[in-house]
Amino acid sequence: MKIETTLPTLLLDIGAFYEAHQWHFLTVNGIDLGEGKIELQWIFSKYGVKDEVVLYYALSDYETPVPSLTGLIPSSIMGEREIVDMFGLKVEGAQRGLYLDDDSHPHPLRGES
Amino acid sequence: MKKTIQIPLGSQHISLLEPIRFKFECENEKIIGVDADVGFVHRGVELACTRSFEFKQVGYVVARVCGLCAITHSLSYTLAVEKLLGYVANDRIKYLRMLMVELDRIHSHMLCLAHTAENAGFEALFMQIMGDRELVMEVQEAISGNRVQFDYISIGGVNRDLTSELVDLVRKNLTTLSEKMEILTGLFDNNWSLSLKYKGVGVLTLEDAYTYNALGPLARASGLATDVRAETSDFPYEALGYTMMLESTGDIHARNFVRLREIVNSIAICRNIVDNLPMGEIQEKVKGKPKGEEIVRIEAPRGELFYLVRGNGTNTLERVRIKTPTFSGIPAMMEVFKGSQYADAPAILASFDPCMSCTAK
Repeated sequence: MKIETTLPTLLLDIGAFYEAHQWHFLTVNGIDLGEGKIELQWIFSKYGVKDEVVLYYALSDYETPVPSLTGLIPSSIMGEREIVDMFGLKVEGAQRGLYLDDDSHPHPLRGES
Repeated sequence: MKKTIQIPLGSQHISLLEPIRFKFECENEKIIGVDADVGFVHRGVELACTRSFEFKQVGYVVARVCGLCAITHSLSYTLAVEKLLGYVANDRIKYLRMLMVELDRIHSHMLCLAHTAENAGFEALFMQIMGDRELVMEVQEAISGNRVQFDYISIGGVNRDLTSELVDLVRKNLTTLSEKMEILTGLFDNNWSLSLKYKGVGVLTLEDAYTYNALGPLARASGLATDVRAETSDFPYEALGYTMMLESTGDIHARNFVRLREIVNSIAICRNIVDNLPMGEIQEKVKGKPKGEEIVRIEAPRGELFYLVRGNGTNTLERVRIKTPTFSGIPAMMEVFKGSQYADAPAILASFDPCMSCTAK
């Protein structure tokens, strides 16, 4: 199931949906759409239920800061640091350097790269 | 305020199989804080999948993410592309793919157990388990033609069939391995180095397992009932004897036992597969170019492996997102270290069975 959200309402939407004993947080994902646009995804699966995956997505650009989910889901820090490295996005509290060094390509997974 | 000291572990350390660096903040011998650096072997596989290779080649590229669960990577990707192309494999192909995945789980768990024994100073057992593991490696090599990078799964099927001689080899080696597993289980349960020393050490509570989204054997050792084999319907696991293995104490001993019991269960699944192998083609024609987005999850030896593939109807994919089990498990691992003794850190780390090659991809 794919649910659209926006960056300003992300924390409210995920906060209303997520319950740690029911939902397993899979990851954060980014997909470059070209022309400076990016699709961000937050993906969950349900414990003990077959084939139930919920994907929240929001359309954004490279410059708009992305809210962090770590207050709700501490383990989201890994995926958030990854999109900082790979797409050069600004995510609250997530620093560059999970995979890439300072002199590496600034955003290898952007379409223009 | 007590004085604290910072002690590094890695990136190169005698207890590590792959490069990872921890910075432990310690009060005397007790770890009170930890930071991890996991990116030493980043190779840009996701980028290569969408820039340097066509979708038919990518299955062989993603297999190179990991030398231990190569078959799971290629299966996850292949399944995602097959779904985008509207293809569903016949039962023989499904069974052969499951056979290789379960054999992979057995040898990967055995490597972890051997490494755990080595960390307890039990070098002889390390050698014994690695020797027993060859039984599975021999079968995998005979089936696929390769020892580590199997390149067995391809879009539309598998690359080699299971002959009657191979079926005999699977049965013979798995019977021998079953006998050895009884001895091994007894050792892990009763030997002082492996049981008493590891009971109550490196505990991940059930609540922390939920909070930090633990997965795979790490979660099941804490009593969190999650296993992709029970949460997806791509393969008929229940019909072939799959049982979820749970422990409750969440310590190193429990993680060892989840793996030991999963090996026994995987042996049973493999036997059921070769005993009930359906007839059919092993390679079918699949036409078209992937268009749309598909998510596939497969239970790798360390937990859930996640692939998201997006295609645009051309030979080049728009996005291949790989999320590996160790990558997701890092926050839970870091939580376990807090409060533990520094001297136990190598053993705790080995019990997580981390795969840095997968994590950094």
